[in-house]
Amino acid sequence: MIILEQLLNGLTIGSFYALIALGYSMVYGVMKLINFAHGDLFALGSYLGYSLLIWGAGAASQRFGLWGGMIAALLFSFFAVGCAGVLMERVAYRPVQKSGRLPLVVSALGASIFLQNSIMAIWGPRYQAYPASVVPTHAIHLGWLHVTIMQLFILILSFILMLTLYYIVQKTTFGAAIRATALDREMATILGVDVRKITLFIFFLGPALGGVAGVMNGMYYRQISFVMGWNYGLKAFTATILGGIGNIPAAMLGGLLLGTVEMFGAAYISSAWKDVFTFLILIIILIFRPTGLIGEKVAEKV
Amino acid sequence: MGKGRGTSKFSLLAVILLFCLYPLFSNFYWTDVAFFFGVYALLGLSLNIVLGETGLFDLGHAAFYAIGAYITAILNTLYGIPIIWLIPLSAIGAGLFAYVVTSPIIHLRGDYLCVVTIGIGEIVRLALINNPFGLTGGPNGITGVGRPSLGPFLIDSPTRFYFYVWGILVIVIICLIRLQRSRIGRAWNYLREDDIAAETSGIDVRHFKLLAFVVGAALAGVAGNIYASKLMIVSPDTFTFMESSMLFCIVMLGGLGSIPGSILGAGIITVFPEIFRIVANYRMLFFGGALVLTMIFRPGGIWPRKREAVGLRIGDIDDVKGKVKGKLQLIDQNRNIKKKKARGKNDPSVPNIIGNHILTTDKLTMTFGGLVAVNEFDLAVSQEKITSIIGPNGAGKTTVFNVVTGIYKPVSGRVYFEGNDITGLKPHKIAELGLARTFQNIRLFPNLTCIENVMAGLHHRMNSYVLSSIVRTESQRAEEKWALEIATHWLEKTGLGDVHDELAKNLPYGKQKLLELARALSSSPRLLILDEPSSGLNDKETEELMVFLESLLEEQNLTILLIEHDMNVVMGISHWVVVMDMGMKIAEGTPKEIYNHPKVIEAYLGREE
Repeated sequence: MIILEQLLNGLTIGSFYALIALGYSMVYGVMKLINFAHGDLFALGSYLGYSLLIWGAGAASQRFGLWGGMIAALLFSFFAVGCAGVLMERVAYRPVQKSGRLPLVVSALGASIFLQNSIMAIWGPRYQAYPASVVPTHAIHLGWLHVTIMQLFILILSFILMLTLYYIVQKTTFGAAIRATALDREMATILGVDVRKITLFIFFLGPALGGVAGVMNGMYYRQISFVMGWNYGLKAFTATILGGIGNIPAAMLGGLLLGTVEMFGAAYISSAWKDVFTFLILIIILIFRPTGLIGEKVAEKV
Repeated sequence: MGKGRGTSKFSLLAVILLFCLYPLFSNFYWTDVAFFFGVYALLGLSLNIVLGETGLFDLGHAAFYAIGAYITAILNTLYGIPIIWLIPLSAIGAGLFAYVVTSPIIHLRGDYLCVVTIGIGEIVRLALINNPFGLTGGPNGITGVGRPSLGPFLIDSPTRFYFYVWGILVIVIICLIRLQRSRIGRAWNYLREDDIAAETSGIDVRHFKLLAFVVGAALAGVAGNIYASKLMIVSPDTFTFMESSMLFCIVMLGGLGSIPGSILGAGIITVFPEIFRIVANYRMLFFGGALVLTMIFRPGGIWPRKREAVGLRIGDIDDVKGKVKGKLQLIDQNRNIKKKKARGKNDPSVPNIIGNHILTTDKLTMTFGGLVAVNEFDLAVSQEKITSIIGPNGAGKTTVFNVVTGIYKPVSGRVYFEGNDITGLKPHKIAELGLARTFQNIRLFPNLTCIENVMAGLHHRMNSYVLSSIVRTESQRAEEKWALEIATHWLEKTGLGDVHDELAKNLPYGKQKLLELARALSSSPRLLILDEPSSGLNDKETEELMVFLESLLEEQNLTILLIEHDMNVVMGISHWVVVMDMGMKIAEGTPKEIYNHPKVIEAYLGREE
């Protein structure tokens, strides 16, 4: 039973990684850019959700009820962080895009530093805590299995979000346009795909999902800090590579897998060295299967 | 030009004077800022070798910095080894570490390499925190690191540290400038610009990528040593992903591959936050914004390297333009010995079909996934003749070239060059044996000058390495001069003498093709492989090319193998024509025979019903 609980813990943290990884992967797909600021967008989401929940005279949950407050915070974060993502593309990426890959990387690093320090300037450098009153804390027992309501909520919501995204990308015409753009931007443009619209969509949805992950992360761990973006960003990015970058289902798989591996690694090997294992796995994957677990090989034309 | 050098010498003198006087006019605080400027300049220059010169995305460079700092701290506190002696040890340690960890990943490209280096950076930092074998002191690090002393002269005050770091920096800068303008520096640049073109020109890409990492890491190790002795404490907090990102930004802010650029970038990174200290909480915010703005308005960096203006002034070898007539020694002595050795190793199992054929393939097969691109293809190229391969698009002609030159490994079949089995050899090895090629879609080194492009072909015939390039030994200079002369000779021979110092990317299409040809010829190949040499050329240029190729055959004892679509060229200069379709040879013969061959007509025009 302990193993099952560990698995659930792993999947919970894995769904944070997966939701963030989706943003990395989508952006990489259409822009071939590692969006280093993506982790900070996740942190921004966490802080925005926090502010909404404690906003006004009392907590949001006093107005909307416990679940209403949570949903409001998630929705608010979803849209606000999505807009921040679009703005970021507009200001920091689009003007640099024509100059090539390297300047884009630096611009992304700059955007990340800017965002991180904006969060610090607004909410202060100290840890903030989601108040206990705004999230459900009780647990349910299924036989010997002990699951918190929060965990269940996170798993179900993440599952729904990922399924929806999967449907959009794999089954709709718009999704086909996204995939076409990821494969060959130029060709997609020639065939009449509105690449700009796709970029906009990607830069809204990716960060928006990250924002949702941020709020859920805050509700789950309750404690948030302005530097959390680097950490989660790096992990989620690892997850993206693990699955295969630029591929939507791969990012989900990578995230869930990484969360689980990490949990078991911490429980059964060593919690101090668990991150070392994470990165070792990353490097080994890249050496033997640079395209990730389910990515496809791209041959270079000579 | 002499005047320009004079003023630049004067301004250099002024800068040095300014640096010497600086501590007199500043307080300890600002002297320390200038010290850290120096440390970051060292780090920026070290990453510049990897990222700037060689184009390898390294976002984990802080790891090498950390290794240097910890080696110094551990050996100094445990065994009391003087800091000064630990400088070379830190450099060697960091370089060795870089060699070990990058060897298995060096083949990764672009973003993948970037990700792996991030991983390495994090692993090193996490390992330091976890205090392996009780050596690193865990999260708090190691305290009590000693101070360096030069003989009896202890370096302890901010002013002394300032002169210490900038003194080391001056030495490093001189070494790096010499390295940049040598065979090594050029090799790094070649593979940054186009690693496939570099490899087929005879540059051992893997070796020079590793070398860049080792040299870069060693320099970062030196910076780590200086940092540790200044702060007297090392802790894992210094060597974060953020630190690696900063180093990355230093190089990019200054300009890729630019030595003054990297120093300037380091200055910006260290001085900028100090100036904005008044708005303490917002300074990094401004900094992030400034990074984005710089990339929008100056994506190439603030002080990019201007190659074309400098040309190839190397020490006392000024310019050999127009001075080389007569005494050219195209084949150097070493090479003939090598060649004889290679011949001596003839494999007795080599089939007898070779005869006077310089290149033969035996049932060569290459597939991509399920697609058979080349199917049991036999080719025999006669010595000192022109052989053409023709065939419809997608017949597999270029794939044959790529297999022969080692870019692809064949699924089955063998390739023999001058009696030696070269199947599966790396492209640079094949180039060394005397086989040079051009590409269908020109592959030059776009941001290098024409003369540097041509010198790529001479790389594998030169021997100087890191130390001899830094010291500029007699033989190294002679070798550089020799290479410069031959390269100039080929530039002039291909009619590009007037664009000697122009960047390759600025040439019109036709001249780019010629430049690629000059690069291939400069290696004095015995077999020249040309992939559609006349495509994109007008009638007059094509005519000139044909005359030129025929003249080569006579003057250089050269054999030429070409893919060509222009039937005037094929019929005009070929001695032998091979026709390919669907990966197979469908006919071969003299141009006349091929012209009327029913199978050839069918492949091109379809069957008559």
